[in-house]
Amino acid sequence: MLELVFLIPIFTGIMAAFLPAKLGRGILVISALLHLQMTVLGWMQIAKPSMDKYFSATPEGLLVLLVTSVVFLLISIYSVGYMQESETPKEPLFLGCMLFFLATMSMVALSDHIIVLWVAVEATTLVSAPLIFLHRTKEALEATWKYVLICSVGIALALLGSFFITLSMDLGGVHVPLRFSSLIEVAAQLDPIWLKAGFIFIVIGYGTKMGLAPMHTWLPDAHSEAPSPASALLSGALLNCAFLGIYKAHSLLYAANLGSYSSNILIIFGLISMVIAAIFIVNQTGYKRMLAYSSIENMGIIAFGIGIGGIATYGAFLHLIHHSLIKSSLFLSTGNILLGYGSKLINKTGNMARLLPKTFIAYFAGFAGISGFPPFGIFISELLIIFGAFKSGRHVSIIIFILCLAVIFAGGARIVMRMSFKEHDGEILVKEKMLRLFPSYALLLTSGVLCIWMPDSLYQTIISAISTIGGGING
Amino acid sequence: MINLADALLAFVLLSVLLSLSSNRMMGLVNIMTLQGIVVSLVPLFLEHHQDIETSSLLMLQIMLLVKGMLIPGMLYMAIKKVSMRREVEPIIGYHASLFAGLVMIIASAFITDRLHLNLPGNHALLMITAITTLAAGLFLMMARRKAITQVIGYLMMENGIYLIGTALAKETHTMYVVEFGVLLDLLVGIMVMGIVINNISRTFDDVDTSHLAQLKD
Repeated sequence: MLELVFLIPIFTGIMAAFLPAKLGRGILVISALLHLQMTVLGWMQIAKPSMDKYFSATPEGLLVLLVTSVVFLLISIYSVGYMQESETPKEPLFLGCMLFFLATMSMVALSDHIIVLWVAVEATTLVSAPLIFLHRTKEALEATWKYVLICSVGIALALLGSFFITLSMDLGGVHVPLRFSSLIEVAAQLDPIWLKAGFIFIVIGYGTKMGLAPMHTWLPDAHSEAPSPASALLSGALLNCAFLGIYKAHSLLYAANLGSYSSNILIIFGLISMVIAAIFIVNQTGYKRMLAYSSIENMGIIAFGIGIGGIATYGAFLHLIHHSLIKSSLFLSTGNILLGYGSKLINKTGNMARLLPKTFIAYFAGFAGISGFPPFGIFISELLIIFGAFKSGRHVSIIIFILCLAVIFAGGARIVMRMSFKEHDGEILVKEKMLRLFPSYALLLTSGVLCIWMPDSLYQTIISAISTIGGGING
Repeated sequence: MINLADALLAFVLLSVLLSLSSNRMMGLVNIMTLQGIVVSLVPLFLEHHQDIETSSLLMLQIMLLVKGMLIPGMLYMAIKKVSMRREVEPIIGYHASLFAGLVMIIASAFITDRLHLNLPGNHALLMITAITTLAAGLFLMMARRKAITQVIGYLMMENGIYLIGTALAKETHTMYVVEFGVLLDLLVGIMVMGIVINNISRTFDDVDTSHLAQLKD
């Protein structure tokens, strides 16, 4: 009954939405723990999906599920502290939607059926919209409207892509269930033209959700206007789930011998995302927006790595794990900064090293991690992706890739330096609290530890996830 | 039977053109209601969907209920609640929109012709209608200023995708559990959008999305 992994949060979410907020906070953390426990059972293959027509525990799905679960647990602990100190209207609704969000994301991670996957991704949009709209300002409203509208249209196009894949089955004369796992086995018989068309629509559709440029326009707004726990969840967990849809379609095309076609599309979208992020990060005025553009960049890196193939796919999956950990930590730190300075503008902050020293350490270390400095894992993953790109001889792509990394680092460093050390003559509104610091540190620590010591089961899972698209540590 | 299906499809095409040129909010919702009903009836009259089972009949009724009653009801309520001014407020004028609609029909006929599809039952018109509806929905979302017209555009787009789905998929692949999921999502989507519209109107005293341009880089 691995389905419990999303049935539990649905149930507890309904409870949290109707019970008083103080009780709801407890429920949030307890369900996060239960979720982690179920996920671990799934990893140990003790719990298996019972509705195997629609769900299956694929290695890549388990990976995303584990990342989501760990990130959610720490974010939920942070949320308890955050909720105590910020005035939140309709807190039970917020807590309920957080749990529904977890449920729908777990459903995405487990779903194998093409349409069930679609339903689950669309459901993530709908349950996370109230999270963005929590503060009920004009800007939050605008961000929510953009998010719901752009993502719904994107996802509608993904549905069209799914229909095209169905058509390729019909034209190929294949009669198997509409599941990725059964389609991969008969991929060679599918009609290639419609498969290609379906892939393009799926990349556009799920790519909108994943934040690939030029479909990323909702992302900076939603990430900057949502309350920090929600931003951390959007960036650290949701984007991976959308990536999973693209990854499954890519492995289907790879099995149908169209791998080079889909790889090229992924590389192009990846590079566009990085260039767009580099352009917009340089003169950014809001620190949460800066992080949002950094998420776009990192999603671009993942898409690029998957597209390159070989050892770069291993790098891409490492990047996915470490990006989730570090970026969630960074967004949680911005929650403390926002509470402390009361503004999202970089100009209104300063001298963080003295005023918010513990947040400063987490924020600065997080920035170093996201820019690819050791001891954080992104260092290794980016290195592997660059190696992979050299091996496959894509020299122009490497130049753009490294140039973007440099520009983004330079632009980000200027902002972080300014926030940390510039003179600031204001008061700190809300002091730092341990409950709001510990999750950021824990996330960074996990990334650091994973860089030095990788558990064998994690390694094996990544290897078996990338072996379906011909990736490997030696390739 | 084939003629009946074609007649229905022609009706959908007409409703698309009407919605592009309509300048009254209530009129637009009425047209969308009709379009929703007709679109959900289309599979009933298609040749390759002839063998109707009990489950598909049930599905059809749910479809009719959602597309014909629940969604329009919610739209009516949204319009009433926010007591908006009645006009649609186009960014692109009515005549230009109508012309764009006609161009879309020709373009989708051209695309359908070029695709050389082996459509089940050879319903070329089905594909043309589907693509036109999809494109016109997208057009409506971009060319109208009010938030509620964007929701209507989204609905129209969904109708188009549903038509493409029925055009392409054989009966064997349509799984009712799944169609039900799609519908439910659509319904909840409209509900969420409705709530957002409501809040837009409360915050800005209007449902004009041009107010929604604060966030940019």
